Amino acid sequence: MVTYIVRRLVTAVLILLAASFLVYLLTAASGDPLQQYRQSSLPNKEQLIQQRIQLLNLNTPAPLRYFDWLGGAAGCLIPFAAECDLGKSIQGIEVTTLLARAMGQTIQLVTAATILAIIIGIALGIITALRQYSGLDYGVTFMAFLFFSLPIFWVAVLLKEYGAIGFNNFLNQPNIGLSAMGIIGLVAGFICYLVPKSGVKRKLIAAAIGFVAAVALCWYLDISGWFLTPGFGAIGVALMGVAAAYLVTVLTAGLRNRKALYSALITVGLGMIAYFAIQPLLDLATILMIIILGVGAVLVGVAVGYLMGGFDRRQSMNAAGLTAFLMGFVILLDRYMQEWPEYFNNSRIGGRPIATIGSSTPNLEGNFWIAGLDIFTHLLLPTIALMLISLASYSRYSRASMLEIMNQDYIRTARAKGLTERTVVMRHAFRNALIPLATLVAFDIGALIGGAIITEAVFAFSGMGQLFVDALNAVDPNPVMGVFLITGILAMTFNLVADLIYSVLDPRVRVKA
Amino acid sequence: MRFGRTSKAVGTAAIAALALSACASTEGGGGGDSTEGGSQASGGNTSVTVAEVNQFTSFNSNSATGNVDINGTIEYLTQWDFNYLTNDLELKRREEFGTYKKLSEDPLKIKYTINEGVVWSDGTPIDAGDLMLAWAVQSGHFDDAKTNDAGDVVSGTNYFSYAGSTSGLGLTDVPEIGDDGRSITMTYSKPYADWEIAFGVGLPAHVVAKGAGLKNEQALTDLLLSAPEGDPENPKKRPKLKKVANFWNTGFDTTTFPSNKGLTLSSGPYMVESMVPDRSMTLVRNPEYDWGPEPKIDEIVIRYIPESPSQVQALQNGEVDIIAPQASGDIKASLEQLSGFKMLTGQMLSFDHIDLKYGGVFKDVDVRKAFMNTIPRNQIVQSTIAQVIPDAKPRDSHVFDMGTPGYKASVKVNGSENWQEVDIQKAKELLNGRTPKVKIMYNADNPNRVDAYTLIAESAEKAGFNVVDGGLPGNKWGAALTAGGWDATIFGWISDGVGVTGVPQLYGCGSASNFTGFCDEKAQQAMDELIVTTDPQKQQELKITVDKRLFETGYGLPLFQSPGIIAYNDKLKGIEFMGNQTGVWWNFWEWEVAK
Amino acid sequence: MSTSAENENPDTATPEARGLSQGQLVRKRFFGHTAAVISMFVFAGIVILAFTSVGYAGIPGWYQWNYIETPPIQGRGEPTWELPFDFGQHPFGQDSVGRDMFAMTMRGAQLSLIVMFIIGALGGILGVIIGGVSGYFRGWVEAVLMRLTDTVIIIPLIILAAVLGTISQTMTGRGTIANAIFGGSDGVVLLGLFVGVIIWTGLARLVRGEFLSLREREFVDAARIAGASDRRIIFKHILPNAVGVIIVNTTLVMASAILLETALSFLGMGVQAPDVSLGSLISDNQQAFTTRPWLFWWPGLFIIAICLSINFIGDGLRDAFDPRQKKFRAKKAKDTRASSSAEAKA
Repeated sequence: MVTYIVRRLVTAVLILLAASFLVYLLTAASGDPLQQYRQSSLPNKEQLIQQRIQLLNLNTPAPLRYFDWLGGAAGCLIPFAAECDLGKSIQGIEVTTLLARAMGQTIQLVTAATILAIIIGIALGIITALRQYSGLDYGVTFMAFLFFSLPIFWVAVLLKEYGAIGFNNFLNQPNIGLSAMGIIGLVAGFICYLVPKSGVKRKLIAAAIGFVAAVALCWYLDISGWFLTPGFGAIGVALMGVAAAYLVTVLTAGLRNRKALYSALITVGLGMIAYFAIQPLLDLATILMIIILGVGAVLVGVAVGYLMGGFDRRQSMNAAGLTAFLMGFVILLDRYMQEWPEYFNNSRIGGRPIATIGSSTPNLEGNFWIAGLDIFTHLLLPTIALMLISLASYSRYSRASMLEIMNQDYIRTARAKGLTERTVVMRHAFRNALIPLATLVAFDIGALIGGAIITEAVFAFSGMGQLFVDALNAVDPNPVMGVFLITGILAMTFNLVADLIYSVLDPRVRVKA
Repeated sequence: MRFGRTSKAVGTAAIAALALSACASTEGGGGGDSTEGGSQASGGNTSVTVAEVNQFTSFNSNSATGNVDINGTIEYLTQWDFNYLTNDLELKRREEFGTYKKLSEDPLKIKYTINEGVVWSDGTPIDAGDLMLAWAVQSGHFDDAKTNDAGDVVSGTNYFSYAGSTSGLGLTDVPEIGDDGRSITMTYSKPYADWEIAFGVGLPAHVVAKGAGLKNEQALTDLLLSAPEGDPENPKKRPKLKKVANFWNTGFDTTTFPSNKGLTLSSGPYMVESMVPDRSMTLVRNPEYDWGPEPKIDEIVIRYIPESPSQVQALQNGEVDIIAPQASGDIKASLEQLSGFKMLTGQMLSFDHIDLKYGGVFKDVDVRKAFMNTIPRNQIVQSTIAQVIPDAKPRDSHVFDMGTPGYKASVKVNGSENWQEVDIQKAKELLNGRTPKVKIMYNADNPNRVDAYTLIAESAEKAGFNVVDGGLPGNKWGAALTAGGWDATIFGWISDGVGVTGVPQLYGCGSASNFTGFCDEKAQQAMDELIVTTDPQKQQELKITVDKRLFETGYGLPLFQSPGIIAYNDKLKGIEFMGNQTGVWWNFWEWEVAK
Repeated sequence: MSTSAENENPDTATPEARGLSQGQLVRKRFFGHTAAVISMFVFAGIVILAFTSVGYAGIPGWYQWNYIETPPIQGRGEPTWELPFDFGQHPFGQDSVGRDMFAMTMRGAQLSLIVMFIIGALGGILGVIIGGVSGYFRGWVEAVLMRLTDTVIIIPLIILAAVLGTISQTMTGRGTIANAIFGGSDGVVLLGLFVGVIIWTGLARLVRGEFLSLREREFVDAARIAGASDRRIIFKHILPNAVGVIIVNTTLVMASAILLETALSFLGMGVQAPDVSLGSLISDNQQAFTTRPWLFWWPGLFIIAICLSINFIGDGLRDAFDPRQKKFRAKKAKDTRASSSAEAKA
């Protein structure tokens, strides 16, 4: 195992060297670094050109310049070496500084989108696999392919137009018209129509329920002025907690496991007490406190499950722990919503909360909650855009993987044993279906740090992709090489990690030393 | 056992409570208070947010690395100078800040004086020491480098990497410092046409002195006064001066708010208060400032938004108040649809033109004129800039910008009236049955140039020209400009709107920016005289001569001056269009938020 | 496979029992996939429309304008198409110089399709050769080829796209050989070639994996013992079994190629004006989104239509080549059993 990793690492370094040499030459060949001055009518044009030639050392042939660069960069590859010199950009800024900042922006931009895309994509994939060739399957497949086919800057323009500008206009006069309610109801009804497995009658009933529920919800939100003063209230939190308890129990233990259900419900009760108890504490919240509270909530849930005991203690603990986590999340959301009017009316926001550009409102002052809401309103649109286009691959891959698993002999054995469908799906199929996805996820994370060039451009994030493209356009090799180095190393690392994970998860796969 | 578990739980709870209170936020008393503080901070104050394309990189916009438009904008906001340019392209003096006087015409002798009581934002007076440093930078007086043909320095040193021209102050000797310590007097070795814009104040000398490890500003002044002029034939090592130059060259480059406050010193109405790298920059009033007009806005925030459609949507969504997107018919139309916003359009000081090579297929002046006869200038204007400025007209002069007094005078006599309409018949006559092959080079990423090319190619082929599409991508065409391989090229020049020394730069024999090989005796004579002429009237006459010769020899045709768009939230007042690179900022002290 | 086949839908069970060839089976399954069949017709329609309407490589089309002509602008250039069949002069509208939007969209579709096919073909061929050779011969050949794959995989695509501009300057344009061969779309051909040259890496890995497992199978051993040459084993025994993976992944690469071209156009590294591709049309006209929406929507619709249909065709092929996916029916297993027993009675 160790020899295997060492060997892989050594080849990785060699590959990086070869690829970086190529990339350096290509960058140097990609354009004219003096472009900016050619059209200039400045009297000192010649002088500026000379300055640029000296700055970029253009009279040295590119292959030799590469070794100059490599000399500085070599310091970065040796761990704990103090010297790490990736050179400077044309504007005279250290590439290491640029990279650190760009990486921060990119990570901020892609993290939420990636996590959501993975969770939702896998969930959709599993569900469509279980309902193969149903209306739901076709519907989801069509939507996934449709989103995948959309050019992202188009999605971005549409989202800004309707999701930000349109929605902000709506917030200034938050009245849902009758026709809008009808349309929302029909859409909800149609989605519900697809959900039941079979039977036109059941589908129609589901559609009717969906329609009525959606219209009623809209009507309530409308008359209660919810959009301006949102919040769940104690009742809402309790209802959502109970719903979460049932859902979690269904997925983890099955409703027949009463002990699990009761521990989940008890957790919801404790959560309600905590809801009132910690409100004053939350006024002083910091990120660390929220994390501690979250961990604490999960521990309490697990403890409740443990105390409830029963024939399968782990199921109760899982159910209660997960419920506690969701409950905590709902309380957190509720607290954010309480702060909404404050945020909404802040003079820097001016009643137009959803932002079209950047990652924060400049000079906005406020507590933890205001800052959190500001990040939320800025990341909302780019996250949706990125998520929509990456949903397709996750849902398709997990669907295929799940279908393959469901045909395995051991699934038939499990069914033959008389296990419930829930146990078969959740315990036997689902977990194994995730194994091949590990590779995909590992690759994607590696690639995403490289930047979502177009999303960054449209939403005015200056992340890795933007840095790369700008430097490439200016034929400025140092930042290009910096970005390449990071993405190259990440790709190599995640490649290795994916192989290792695979061998850990799937005992049939062995790495050869 | 049971008991033990409970006590454990209590213990854990107690520790948790401790931990939680330890990590609770300590600022403010609670959520409500601190947010109230936030809204108050901006509530009473007026704030304007402006979108800019590029990101700020340096407080020294005159160095080789810092020479980016946004850095120049910040300099315009924070550093006052002896004069500024209005949007009528008139040079206005800032008498409240400092004065300059022409002491004699021949030799040209100018005295610059800073007013008493004018200080940097740290309280240090602005004085002759600052002016001396500025002169040292802008004159290139100490440079003694020799370069070979490839541009490598073979001996000596270029000290300050000044991004402006040293051709003006390079003619001056070391200035004399006035007795009041606030003035210097320079003497030119020969008259210099653009003397009025040759000198600016620049960076605080006391900060540079400190950054270079000198004792104080006086030490720097003494150094500059005592150092001999650089002599490329006999270069000397001057380590102290080199240190000063190094700090001036790169010491002001930063993308984060510097720990050395000296870098941010202001002599103008605003000073930089905070910077968020890659995102925004905030300027507030300079408390020391009381010379010159008092600005009406308390705070200016600059946000970086590269994409024009994103700028429009950000304006529409209230995230920025002023934008200057790339002008196009669609941007204009989408801005017109919005309510609550105002839009200004105008012509920028940059113009697109088609130039013909003096040689190759265009060696024969008849072929040049035949080609010029096919250029549908009106149609090009209609399909490009008329979308933004409906009554736009083609530009009729190579040398003068539209709207200047010289433009009118020149158009009457320069011969441009011969090229107002397309005349295919005349072109055919001039060609006399020939079908010359013309390769037109242009930037294929610029939609206006693509449209211009499409229309020109279509029209020229009617007259019998065989047009070859030589369009190149945005990062390639510039190199091709010098490299050649084209017969005609469509591109643009950017003008400052002031000064005349740019003329020989573009049209002088063998000049670096003269790509067509234009070399005309009469024009060259006029230009040689132009750069040593300080009388504006005489300058104009000489420029007209050059303009006339350009048309007569079939240089090509000017097409149009590019349009510009500024859009702003209509709660603002006092915004006016400006066509040069200063743009909307030119009168920022007159901006106002309507109540 | 054989045991559970009886529980299968009788439609597929019967022909399998009849002993159809692999090709017949695949075709049958593919045509059973409604979405894929519809997509195939849509896609074929787009290809025919794009290449016949404005003509290609000097062959004139039936449409009255081409994408370079600048007829006078009518109104603001709005589409003149009135539903259902009154097309008018410019059914898709005109741009700011007056060029006909239908002609431009069709030309754009041509170029986008060409890019797509070149990338698909080149990426597919290179991927199969490199993956197949390294998977079959193993040893140092595999080591070298796989390290090459690793190297290529980390070179960013847009660097190549930027370099492409410099090269196309000298290699393309009117009068060059490339131009004569590719009928004026040489720039785009080069773009396709460049992307194709580096996009094969994913497929090469998959094919290698497939070859690695297939070469250990009994039938390959049998062929080898019978004295078959390497060439025969590869082409007759292994390749036909790996063709599913190859075709499916090639279609997916083609679908993403269209989007890639769009992204490159957005960055100004795609097709060079005055030629147009679907990607360059929408990225150039994104400012017109609210003011002259037809400039933005028509090419956009074609991108979506092409991309969607290719994806569905790929999906159909996947199902057709991989019969395992069709077998599982969680709930229907019972229904099928019921219906097949009913059928037996009848």
